[in-house]
This record gives sequence, structure tokens and C-alpha cells, in this order.
Amino acid sequence: MARNETSEFTLAVKFARRELRGGLKGFRIFVACLALGVAAIAGVGTISQSIEAGLQRDGKKLLGGDVALRLLHRPASPKHLQHFKKTSDFSEVIEMRAMVRSSSLKKTRALIELKAVDNTYPLIGTVALKGNVDLHNALERKDGIWGAVVENNLLVKLKVKLGDVLQLGESQFRLTGIIEKEPDRVANVLSFGPRMMISTKGLAATKLILPGSQIRYRYRISLNNKVGVTSWTEELKIKFPKAGWRIRTTEEAAPGLQRFIDHMTLFLSFVGLTTLLVGGVGVSNAVSSYLDSKVKIIATYKCLGAPSSLVFKIYLIQIGILAGFGVLIGIAFGVTLPALAIFAFQGALPINPEAGFYPLPLITAAIFGSLIAMTFALWPLARAREIPAVNLFRDKFQSSQVRPHFKFILTVILGGLSLAVLTIATANNSWFAIWFVIGTGGALVVLKSAASLLTQCAKKIKGVRSTQLRLALSNLHRPGAVTSSIVLSLGLGLTVLISIALIEGNLSRQVNERLPVMAPAFFFIDIQPRQVAGFDQTLKSVPGIGDYKRVATLRGRIVKIAGVPVEKVKIAPGVEWATRGDRALTYAAKPANGTKIVAGTWWPENYNGPPIISLDANIAKGFGVSLGDTLTLNILGREIEAKITSLRKIDWRSLRFDFAIIFAPGTLDGAPHSHIAALQAPKKLEDKIEKVVSDQFNNISIIRVREALQAAATMLDGIGAAIRSTAAVTIFGGSLVLAGALAAGRRRRVYDAVVFKVLGATRKTILSAFLLEYGLLGLATSIIASIIGTLTAWGIVVYLMGMSWVFIPSAVWTTVLVCMIVTMIIGFAGTWRALGQKAAPLLRNK
Amino acid sequence: MSDLDQNSNATPSLYNGAAIHLQDVHLSLTSAAGDVDILRGISLDVKKGEAVGIIGPSGGGKSTMMMVIAGLERVSSGIVETAGIDLTNLSEDGLARFRRDNVGIVFQDFHLIPTMTALENVAVPLEFAGISDANERARERLYAVGLGHRLEHYPGQLSGGEQQRVALSRAFATRPAILLADEPTGNLDGKTGQVVMDLLFEMHDNAGTTMMLISHDRVLADRCDRVITLADGQVAEGAGL
Repeated sequence: MARNETSEFTLAVKFARRELRGGLKGFRIFVACLALGVAAIAGVGTISQSIEAGLQRDGKKLLGGDVALRLLHRPASPKHLQHFKKTSDFSEVIEMRAMVRSSSLKKTRALIELKAVDNTYPLIGTVALKGNVDLHNALERKDGIWGAVVENNLLVKLKVKLGDVLQLGESQFRLTGIIEKEPDRVANVLSFGPRMMISTKGLAATKLILPGSQIRYRYRISLNNKVGVTSWTEELKIKFPKAGWRIRTTEEAAPGLQRFIDHMTLFLSFVGLTTLLVGGVGVSNAVSSYLDSKVKIIATYKCLGAPSSLVFKIYLIQIGILAGFGVLIGIAFGVTLPALAIFAFQGALPINPEAGFYPLPLITAAIFGSLIAMTFALWPLARAREIPAVNLFRDKFQSSQVRPHFKFILTVILGGLSLAVLTIATANNSWFAIWFVIGTGGALVVLKSAASLLTQCAKKIKGVRSTQLRLALSNLHRPGAVTSSIVLSLGLGLTVLISIALIEGNLSRQVNERLPVMAPAFFFIDIQPRQVAGFDQTLKSVPGIGDYKRVATLRGRIVKIAGVPVEKVKIAPGVEWATRGDRALTYAAKPANGTKIVAGTWWPENYNGPPIISLDANIAKGFGVSLGDTLTLNILGREIEAKITSLRKIDWRSLRFDFAIIFAPGTLDGAPHSHIAALQAPKKLEDKIEKVVSDQFNNISIIRVREALQAAATMLDGIGAAIRSTAAVTIFGGSLVLAGALAAGRRRRVYDAVVFKVLGATRKTILSAFLLEYGLLGLATSIIASIIGTLTAWGIVVYLMGMSWVFIPSAVWTTVLVCMIVTMIIGFAGTWRALGQKAAPLLRNK
Repeated sequence: MSDLDQNSNATPSLYNGAAIHLQDVHLSLTSAAGDVDILRGISLDVKKGEAVGIIGPSGGGKSTMMMVIAGLERVSSGIVETAGIDLTNLSEDGLARFRRDNVGIVFQDFHLIPTMTALENVAVPLEFAGISDANERARERLYAVGLGHRLEHYPGQLSGGEQQRVALSRAFATRPAILLADEPTGNLDGKTGQVVMDLLFEMHDNAGTTMMLISHDRVLADRCDRVITLADGQVAEGAGL
């Protein structure tokens, strides 16, 4: 018997191929939905890997050597320097903030990021100066005046030009060059001013190096090939265990930038995933409507003896081929677009991404795309499998009337779970990924329920007098209505957009409105203890100033928590920042006004015992320590173990002077330190105060908070706009689904329109009924999405970000308006043809 | 007997001698307005090789009875045996295999697959049956009905009569034991219908197939060996062997 010669699969392939000869019509949206989502995920992954590859490639350049050491307040000791000299080539760079003044009559002044370099700087790469000027030549002392090179914006700010002389501390500097590129400079959010570069000898002449000043000493080490980075750093740690320096190697050349990229990648991947999920609804719709059009053929197959499994395979293969096509297009865009973007934005980023082919994000995107296609297509496919042969004899039948076999329901659930697992496994922050999965799953359930509720409501509304409104309402609930899929797809996209708009709006409000009200006008840093009295006096002599506070401070790094080295302690993600760098410390005999002690007690005013501290309660919780435990801090190269005797609740957003760690008197008093001060003042007094202080105290740096906040707000606005436009991709996905759903129902629309016309309806009546229907659909979707989006944003702002919440109606209205316009335009475009349809030909064909 | 009419899943016949055996067959369908009794105790036997015409008013249960015989519709009660196989306990796929191996159906609306050529349409049941030279056999069947020049045409490119001739070839392709024809000329003009009917009877005579022909046209039905009248879900006339 020949029956077994041809396997069922081969037969299914043969039939699938024959059916696909009909072309891709009806599947364009299917392919587009998948391609969009896959392209988004692949693109984000590729860009992220390109940046990481760029970071790795430039790691040595950004770090300035194979190893970078950093000390605060004090330089390396002669013993350290001797060791560096013996084992490597090294360079010393000193960084601090300082005030610079023009020597012209106008005496303009500015806060700068000062960098003093030695003769060996830079060990890697070159500093590019305008006009190819040599750096070290430019920094030399000529005619009794040291040279300085600066960023162009300092010239603008001070209204000076090359050749002019600037006053820095107690020395003068001639402007000899303009910096175009600094090999070791990574974009720094906390940059308060333009760069000014001088020689280390020049810095000594300024006399700005004072005890306790916020000075960072950096040592860049270049090792010869024979010495490994790991063995060198290990040896360093053994030889100088208490040096207190922060050691970085090329693998962590720019950790701040790395963190920023990680966060953006995480967020954008979620946007990509949401787009793919939205697209999944489109996939499901397209497969359903395709299979609905094949009901008679499927029944014919069955009449002719095809078992359900063969029917299932025939359509599974077709959908598989089309899904593969969609995924491939997505991958192609995911490879090409990042390459084009990298080319277009060359030089605009702090590092140059390494454009290239990165298989991992492409494979991940392909797996996501295939899983989505399978999960969303399986349900209609499984229903088609169950279509009975008797259907050939019945006129109206839809596969949606059939319930799939249990094993397929189970497979769909497994597909959903696999998506969740893959999302969590591929995210660089599993915790966020878990919340994303829960949130998205919850949103889908709520949207689906809301869609059912909407359909039921539309069904229940009776006694509407307007014909158009009655038609519009009935179109929302009748069989084959697009209500459910539109609420689900467009609703999900809108939810994301509204959440983002509200979160961003709250953040902007914080920076633009709340902070300026609460923030002081000035921060003053590096006030020497001997200057304290004079400084206080100077400020208080300015009439009209507001609240003024000054505290002693120096910096130290937490090295042990309860006796265990920090790198071995599991620290809650929310307080990791406290161990990342050096923390500002202070000491006080009495608690400041408004201090909230939540555990333990403050020390007696005349305390004079072993080191004890009062710690931020939130940090204590994140560290897993409580009263009686110890923290060990490296301060100026000395390790000090201090016992925690009280915990304080600190609201960092209040911008009041506060410190995570406050020492009792007796420990830090004797160490070299400086003071910082904050001053409230009306805007009109700002210039005057800056002049008075900088004229008398040329070592004190003045930070104008308003300018800093403005810079932060501008940056935040930029990031916010970028995020919003990226998230709009989800809306695009939703629009595709809408267009697909309308295309699928176009025949019915045309038929409806024709029947209406036969019954005497004008084009205007039909058009207004259709527009009303899409307007209602858009409005309902917007309202549902607004509620879910607002609740999501509220949860994130209040619980995740710990900020106060304000509902921003404009953020919601704008998004809602966009949604309604989109639905109405697409709805109108989708039904326009129906209006022009002549009745007779269609009726003759029926 | 054809070499295709084996059905491993089928229950052996309880009744010998008839190609089609219906015994007290009832069928009710549930609708929103309540249950509707479509077939109400039909008992009927058709001999092997016999041609039976079914006539009767619309809604009398003719098409439904044909669906029951083809295993397309399950009965509420009674016994249905087609080609010696008891259909009562067969699964959906079992019924599909039963049809593949035993039954050919000709529809009023042809039901050709629009994306397949005439040749491919005829080859479908042969391919389902796992015949290796399906295309060769399909080609022979189409030449036999005078469509040798239309092999690569799609249904949309064929006239109604040609489409029905393709459908006839498809129904006879596997040389089924039973052929069921539901108003095969209902969508054709008189002359074309006549050609199709001549062809249908010719094929029936040549293959010795048992045939059941549903028609509104008494003249057509009279060309069969026997005519059964169905009305109100019951056999009104001509049930016996």
C-alpha cells in the first residue's frame, strides 16, 4: 500500500505551499507586527552591545591606563610613588572644582572643573587642542605666567579670548589653547562647569591645595606586557592594604556610563517587548481572520478525508513560514537601523559605539518573535483544527465558535510562561523584569476584562434616538466586532505611553518646580576652618539673604559592614550607591533641627569616647545592620571602625544639609577637613553674593544651584523626549493592529454600507456612524488605558522612586487625544472605500 | 471493492448486504429558539451498486440525511452504517479517514480549493490517501471528463460546468464505494446540468459505485434505480430494498 509512503508532514508542506501561492495578502499586517517588535528588540540589543564594545575598545583610553587609582583629599605617599615608578609607567592627575576670574575690567567669574596634569599625561591617546597646539607646550610657564587650556564654553562664559589672562587661586594663567577632545573624559552628569586644564606645577602656584579640600588625586598606571593587571593590583593591595584608594581596571572604565546604558537598555527592551506583545494581538487577529476565510476549504479537506492533525499542520506551516519572514525582516531592520543611527550620531555620544554584527541580541529577538507568533497564533490555529466538515453545508460559521483542544490551551499557557521566563532571564535586572512581567500580564487581564465590559455595556444601551449612535454602539458589540482586539492592543500601547508621560512629568516637576523652591541659591565648598569666621561674616553682611547653614565635612569610603568587607556583603539595590564611592561625612555634638531619630539615642554633647555614628535608617536596612553593629570607613588612608548608636530617617528630597553618616565629636575633629555651606537668597542678589565671596576667598568654589538645576532639567527633558518618542513605537504597533482589524472586517463594512444605502442612508449618515464608532472605541480605550497607566505611574513614582505624586492631566489628555485621532483616522481610512461602493454590482454578486 | 476502502478504525458491520443502512435514525439540532427535530426515525437500506434518488420538499431532511450517511453529522439516536461500517462510535478523525477511503461527495457549490489547479484539486483525496502517483491518476480522471486541456487552470478560470466536472472527478478519484451527490446541477443551467448528470451516471455505471442523488428535479431522480421521498424528517415513500 502506498499510503505510508508520503508522510503527513510532507503532505502538509505540499498543501501549505499551494495555499501560499495566493500571496501575502491579508498577512502584511501580521508580518509588519512581528517585524516591528523584533526590530525594536534586536535594535535595542545591537545598539547596547555596540556601545559596550565601544567601551571595551576604548576602556584603556577612558581609564587613562591599565589601572586607575583614586585618592581623595591627599596625594599618594612617596612610598606609593616609588612603587609605581618601580613597577610601571604612571601619570598623576589632580582634579577639583574651583572659581576662575577674568583679569579684565569686567571681572567675570565661573565655576570650573579643574584638572592639573603632569608631563606624562596622557599615557594613552592624545588631548586634541584646536589648531594642533601641543598640550605640554601650552601649559608651560612663559614670561612668568603659566599656560592653561580650556573648553570653548568657558571663553563664552567669561567673555574672554585666547591670550587673555585668568586668575585662579593665587596665580595667573594665560589662555593658550581650546580643548577639542580629552581622551579620558566620559560625560559626567555631575559636571558643574567647563574644563580648565593646567600643569601640576601650575596648580601648586595657585595655593588651592588646602587641607580638607575636595581634591581628587588620580594615578594612571600603564603596565608593560609582562605584568598582568590582576597580579599588579593584587600586589598593590597586599603591599598597601590601608591606602584607601579606589582601584579601577579597564573592565570598569566608566561604571556610571555603564549603569546608564544598562538602565536604558533595560527600559528600551521592555518597550520593544511591549511592542511585540501589542503586535501579538495583531498576529492573532490576522491568523483568525485568515483562517475564517479558509473555513470552507478546511471543511472541504475534512470532507475529502483529511484528519485534524493534517489540517493543523497545513496552516501551522503557513503561519510558521510567514512568522519566519516577519522575524527575518525584523532582524534585518534590527541590524541596519542601529548601524545607520551610529553613523548618523557619530561624535554626539561620549563614546564611539562599535558598529557591527552582534548575534546574541538578534538570536534573542528572533526567539521572542517566534514565541510571540506561536503563542498568539496557536489559539486560532487550534480552533481551525476543530472546524467540523459539516460546515460546508452551513452558511454562517466562524472558527471562534469552536473551543480548542485542551492540549493546545496548555501549549498557549506554556508559551506565555516561556515568554515570561525569557524576559526575566535576558534582562540585566531580574527584579525589574519580574515586575514588568507581572505588570504587563495584569494590564492585559484588566484590558481584556474592560473590553468585555465595554461590549456588554454597548449591548445594554437601549433607546438611543440617534441612528448613527445606535449603529455605532451596535458595531461595538456585534459578532466580529474589533472592540476586544483594539482595546487590548492600542490600550496596552497607550498604557505604556501614559505611564511614561506621567512618570516623566512627575520627575520634571520635581526638578523644575519643587527643587528650585526648596533648594538654596548657593552651595559653597572648600571653606577652610581658618576662613570660617570671616566667611560667615562676609555673607551675613549682605542684606536680604535668607537661611544660611554651614557644616564641617570630609569624605570617606565604607570598606566594611559589620566587620565584613563590602564586596562580600549582599546590599539591597536601593542603597548600593552608599558603597559605590566616597561619602561626605560630618561630625556634630547636637542633632540638627528637624532630625528624626527612629532608633537609638543621640550621644551626649560632651561625648569623648570610641568612634560612634548615627546612620541613615534606610541605609542601615539595606546593609542589614542595626544598632550596635559597626561600619568601617577609610578616611584619609586610616580605617576607622565606628559603632552605630542611632538611626535617622532622612528625606533626601528636602535638599536640606544632611549626611548619611554623622560622627560623634572626637573622631574627625582633628583630621584635616573643610566646611561646606548653603545659602538661600533671592535671584537678584546672586551676582552680588558671588562677587563678594570670590573677591575675598579665591579658594572657595561657588555652585549656583539654579544653573545646576537648569542644566539637570534640560538634560532630563532631553532624555524624557527620547524615551517618549521611543515608547510611541508601542502606539505604532497598536495602530498596525487597528489597521489590520479594519482590513479584516472591510468586506463586512462594504456590505453594511451597501445595505444601508439600499435602505436609504446617505453617505454622510454612514460616515458619521463609522466615525462615531471609532471615536467611541478610541475614547473608551483611552479611558481604560488612562486609568491603568495612571495607577502604574503612581505605583512607580510613590513606591519605587519614593517621590510625592501629582496627577498631571495634560500628560494624559495629550496621549488620549493622540489615541482618538489615530483611531479615527485609521478607522476613516479603513472605511472610506466602503462609502464609495456602488450597491448594484455587490448585490448582483451576492 | 477498491483497494482504498480499508478502515482500520472502523467497527465491523452489524448488517450484511446493504451499502447504506439507516435504522430508526433521529437527529435534533439545538438552536436559540429551542430543539429542532430534523430527522425523525428514518430507516433505509441501499444495496451495493444501487443508485437512489432522494426527493422531497425543502427542509424535509434530505441534505441532513446525506450528512449523516457521510459521517458529517452525528445522529441523536439510531444506527448508521455506510459501506458496511458502523459510524456511531467513530471519532472525528476516524470519520475523516472513513470518508477518505469510502465516500465521494459532490456538492451543489462545487467546493473546489480556489488556490489549487484543477489537477491539484482532483489529486487532493488521492494525496490524502497516500497514493504515490496521485497526479497521474488525477490527470486520467480529468481527461475522462473532457478537461484534459484545463489541468493547470484554477477554479476561478473555469466555467460552472467545468468546475462541477472537476468536482465529479475529485469525488470519483479514489473510486469510493459510496457516492453522495447533493443537488449537483443546482448551480448550473439546464444544458450544462444535463452534461454533468450524464457524466455522473456514466461514472456510476462504470465504477459500480453505490450512489445517492439528492435533487429537487423528479425527472433527474427518476434516472436512478429507486426514488425515495423525504418529508418532514421522515421517509414518505420508497424506503425498502
